[in-house]
Amino acid sequence: MASTANTVHGRVEQARVELTPVQMAAGMLFVAALGYTLLFVQDPLVHDSMHNFRHAAGIACH
Amino acid sequence: MLAEYLTRGVKAGLVAGVVFGLFMAVVANPLVVYADEMNHAAADVDGGHEHESEAAHAHGDEGDHAHEDGSGHEHEDGSHGHEAGGHTDEGESHADGGEGHHDTAVSMAVNKAVSVVSGGLWAVLLGGAFFGIAFYFLEPAIPGAGAAKSYAMGLAGFVTVSGAPWLVLPPASPGAQQSLPVSTRIPLYAGMMVAGALTCLLAGYVYNRLRASNGRSVAIVGGLLPFGILAIPAVLAPTNTIQGALSPELRTGMTGLFVFGQVLVWLLLATTHAQLRSANTSQTDPSAASRGATLSAD
Repeated sequence: MASTANTVHGRVEQARVELTPVQMAAGMLFVAALGYTLLFVQDPLVHDSMHNFRHAAGIACH
Repeated sequence: MLAEYLTRGVKAGLVAGVVFGLFMAVVANPLVVYADEMNHAAADVDGGHEHESEAAHAHGDEGDHAHEDGSGHEHEDGSHGHEAGGHTDEGESHADGGEGHHDTAVSMAVNKAVSVVSGGLWAVLLGGAFFGIAFYFLEPAIPGAGAAKSYAMGLAGFVTVSGAPWLVLPPASPGAQQSLPVSTRIPLYAGMMVAGALTCLLAGYVYNRLRASNGRSVAIVGGLLPFGILAIPAVLAPTNTIQGALSPELRTGMTGLFVFGQVLVWLLLATTHAQLRSANTSQTDPSAASRGATLSAD
């Protein structure tokens, strides 16, 4: 199995073989939902709750 | 196999997350609160309690703080209020050091607790995304062998997520006022992340090409060269001047500390990931060895 995936292209192919279309769609949808939520849930509750963390991570906004 | 990689990445993230969560709780939380208080106290003195003015406030000037309406801290309907009575009170709640001293939608306790949890989850997210999914797909192309691959991924992750954006927008100390508006800084930050990721991919590509033809040391030098490209957008980007009540030394120290914190996260991610990979390899080694023996015997 490993020998078929020794390139980046091989890995992509392997993922395509191993994952069913439904699994892939579910994964994509989950990531999209997560990204969408993180993007638009920002203000002000979540945004302000993470104030100290954002500074510590160097992602300051104000 | 992808699930196995993802699990390993998340595990590495958990280890780094525990440490960064502790860093948040023990170091960053108290420091940020202190710096915020210093800035607010200075704003009270300098600004003559003009809390409604756009200029006197550490937050909300430039209409930012995720409120792009330019209304400063009016927050549309005043719902951004805080336990201590909000900021329409000419500043009486500022120096109390208690809940609501800082103009946020949440209490200080929530801010601190959520920040600690965020610190932990931040590392888990990075672990899953970089050392899980990205590592699965890019592993054949990542320079080096064994543990070196984990460290190369850690370096690439740091450059992408923090290093490259910080060339333009270094970590700002709490309460500091920045000259560029948020609407400029967000695309700038995102653009530098993309530039960082592309640079890392290019560096890996150059290394692999030179490694095959010219040997390791030439490949290392050649692989490092693309990082110089990052200087171009860093020079061309608009300058973001930072003002605040903190002394420049303290500001520099805090910036250094936060940079150090992120370096620590990536180092822990890479180290733990390398350990988990080698543990996995040694587990599967006997079968691999016997398979090799069978093959050679054939």
